[in-house]
Amino acid sequence: MAVQPYSRSIESLRAAQRGRSGLSRSVLQRYLVAYLFILPVLLLYVVFVLRPTLQTFWLAFYDWNGISVDREWVGLANFQRLLADPIFWQALQHSLIWTVVVVAFNLAVGLAAAALLAGNIRGRLLFQLGYFLPVVQASIVTAMIWRWIYAPTGVLNTGLETLGLGFLTRGWLGDFTVVLPALAIASSWMTFGLSVVILLAGMQGIDPTLYDAARVDGAGAGRMFFDITIPSLRNTITIVILLALVDAFKVFDIIWATTEGGPIRTTEVLSTYLFKEGFQQNQYGYGSAIAVALSLIILVASILNLTLRERGDD
Amino acid sequence: MNGVGGRKSEVGSEAAFRGDACVARGPGIAPNHEHRPVWKRIGGVDRDHAEIEEINPQSPVRRRHIEEDATVNDERSLTLVRGTRGMTRRRLLRRGAALGLGASALASLRGNRVFAVQEGEPVALTIWLEGEPGAVTAFSEIIDEYMQENPNVDVTLTFFGSDLFNPTLVPALNAGEGPDIWAGGTGPGQPAAIIEAGHALDLSPYFCALGWNEIIPEGIVNYTSSDGKLWAVGDSVESTVMFYNKEIFEQNGLGVPVTWDELMTACGTLQSAGFAMPIGLGGADKYPISWWQSLLWGRYAGPEGIDNVMFGDGRWDEEAFVQATAKLKELNDAGCFGPNALAEIQNNVEARFWRGEIPMVHTGPWIIGPGIDAVGEGINKFSAFQVPPPVAGTPIYPTEDIGTGWYVNAAYEHPDVAADLLDFVFFRDESRQKMLESGDNVPVGELDLENVELPVIVQEVFALSNEYRQNGTIHAFLDTVTPASMTDVSYDGLQAVLAGQMSPEDFTATVQSAWEAAKAENEHLLPGGVTCS
Repeated sequence: MAVQPYSRSIESLRAAQRGRSGLSRSVLQRYLVAYLFILPVLLLYVVFVLRPTLQTFWLAFYDWNGISVDREWVGLANFQRLLADPIFWQALQHSLIWTVVVVAFNLAVGLAAAALLAGNIRGRLLFQLGYFLPVVQASIVTAMIWRWIYAPTGVLNTGLETLGLGFLTRGWLGDFTVVLPALAIASSWMTFGLSVVILLAGMQGIDPTLYDAARVDGAGAGRMFFDITIPSLRNTITIVILLALVDAFKVFDIIWATTEGGPIRTTEVLSTYLFKEGFQQNQYGYGSAIAVALSLIILVASILNLTLRERGDD
Repeated sequence: MNGVGGRKSEVGSEAAFRGDACVARGPGIAPNHEHRPVWKRIGGVDRDHAEIEEINPQSPVRRRHIEEDATVNDERSLTLVRGTRGMTRRRLLRRGAALGLGASALASLRGNRVFAVQEGEPVALTIWLEGEPGAVTAFSEIIDEYMQENPNVDVTLTFFGSDLFNPTLVPALNAGEGPDIWAGGTGPGQPAAIIEAGHALDLSPYFCALGWNEIIPEGIVNYTSSDGKLWAVGDSVESTVMFYNKEIFEQNGLGVPVTWDELMTACGTLQSAGFAMPIGLGGADKYPISWWQSLLWGRYAGPEGIDNVMFGDGRWDEEAFVQATAKLKELNDAGCFGPNALAEIQNNVEARFWRGEIPMVHTGPWIIGPGIDAVGEGINKFSAFQVPPPVAGTPIYPTEDIGTGWYVNAAYEHPDVAADLLDFVFFRDESRQKMLESGDNVPVGELDLENVELPVIVQEVFALSNEYRQNGTIHAFLDTVTPASMTDVSYDGLQAVLAGQMSPEDFTATVQSAWEAAKAENEHLLPGGVTCS
């Protein structure tokens, strides 16, 4: 079979880009088929994702209890209220702290675990399975496990006492100073398995001759990790950060199942505040405004992350 | 006296057998759109002389002998099967009263199930209940029995986790896909909004015609009605008491505390004996602190004091509430709730109570069922007492509130079947007995305990409530009868008080502020009550 020269294939694509007049019938047919394949998913996306999202944006301009037929158009009043709401800012601050902890944990511990697993250690599969288990486990189950771990008579305090570190014991879920990072670490435990898998896949894609050459040049393990592994994983790390970031901003279940945003709102994050305002206080308009703010924050953070990576590439 | 605190003699009293005219007044579910006067008599019809035909053409209840009737839901009517021809329910009741059978006799008559849905066209009925999916409760079993008796009725029972319930219910109702019956809260806020939106069926005709008015205590009616209409059937009465481990008390030479000082002494003794948490409190869950708030606020202010704020011009920042909050903090500061109650989860606390690691816990009888599961015969090591008066010489007011209310969807095409099912579940003698024995629920109204096998601890809890009921009752769960916005600030504020980050004065001021804002939006309870003429 004759192989079509590369340059000709590029040319045909360019021709397609030039416009309808330049499209051959076969190319048109090919596009049509492609669009037909996409269409069902696109329709589902529009109905189940895009439409509700836009509806949420729209609801943010109303005062509505979620049930009554009457909705009152209030314009930007919900957003004005949001800006003046100290609980919103407190929740945002907590969300940011949470995100930093989760992203840092996913990256640091994820990289370390992936590097260890990439070294073909014994029982590698078992470790991989162990790391990944919390990812596939229902988050509410994980939350319950951590409730027990952090209980005053739970595993953590008992373990600390057994190790002679009794001075470190505390009521983890009731201590204002540690409850937020403690829960963020628990949440990271739920997600870092995925980071490990992604990073490990990235590491396995690195050309081994780079390490061989470095070894010949006398580079140690640390040098190779920072000068070869990390730069080679740039795109992978971006994905890991992005996933952890989005996950961190929309965290809900573990907080709700353990502290419901308490004590005294010290673990209140945007999503729990949104839930309370929307579904407990029946303020769907204001709840939607919080949801819009949350979406915008995630969007900005994601764009920022991608832009920084692009700049790094340049 | 009326309303909350005025709810006297409900369980185990004459209230369940009031006679023909039922004029129940007091607080109820408040629609948001208008403010109604505190006292309002709702007109009714003379059901002895009313006789109306079944209007709903789709009702499967077609072969009905019309004996009596009642006001209707909009254009709907109600027709009833009468097992005893020629004898109306009223006559039956009168005869029962004349024979001196009292409410127990009424229950017996109901036990014979004089109203039954006959076989007919297939009827589907969906019920949503709050609870963990897969939960097996007395309700599941009773509804199974209903389906066996009425094979044409196919009931689908779905349990939702409590946090998921409202977020699921509201969109479903809005989309016209909601359940035919659902069990939910009865307080202000969302239930009122659901009613206002026209999703709930007015159950008053059934209330009067099926004789529910003879059984449901006035206080319960007050909290499930508004504008003269009954919107829900309260499924149970819940009260809170202090459960304790008799063995631990005996080992430490302690008797049941009858004064506040004795309670504090017991607390200290138990701490010295190595119990870091003498009184279990799952402060991380917030709502258990609110049980204490309800108890102490009620004890300090009394039923009238609470009513005065709920339905009068009283304020939550009055001295009684400040002192009550200070008392709660005092209890915490003395270490009675352990070193850090805010770190404790209520489920863990209760589990540790049954394991003998915590000597006391203030909660409701719903823990008895899991307790029996946990310790079996060992349940006899446990008992309960009323928390002593925090101020010497003041009366003990037992706490009491409704569990949940069962609503019927106004759009359901077989309302008579829904009402019949509610009648079967809540007012049939065998059903009530099953509920009692399961330990899941204490049915509303007078209880016939003679033929029911109950664990001793359950009987003790009933006795505790009955012993002091003549003093008037106070709310067990203020958080369910006050606006959601107030509950929100109360939950966080109570944690702050226990943590020493908020003074009782600031806390009560914050609550009052939330209360005023909610009142301004008509998000508080307004008078309820239903009149049957």
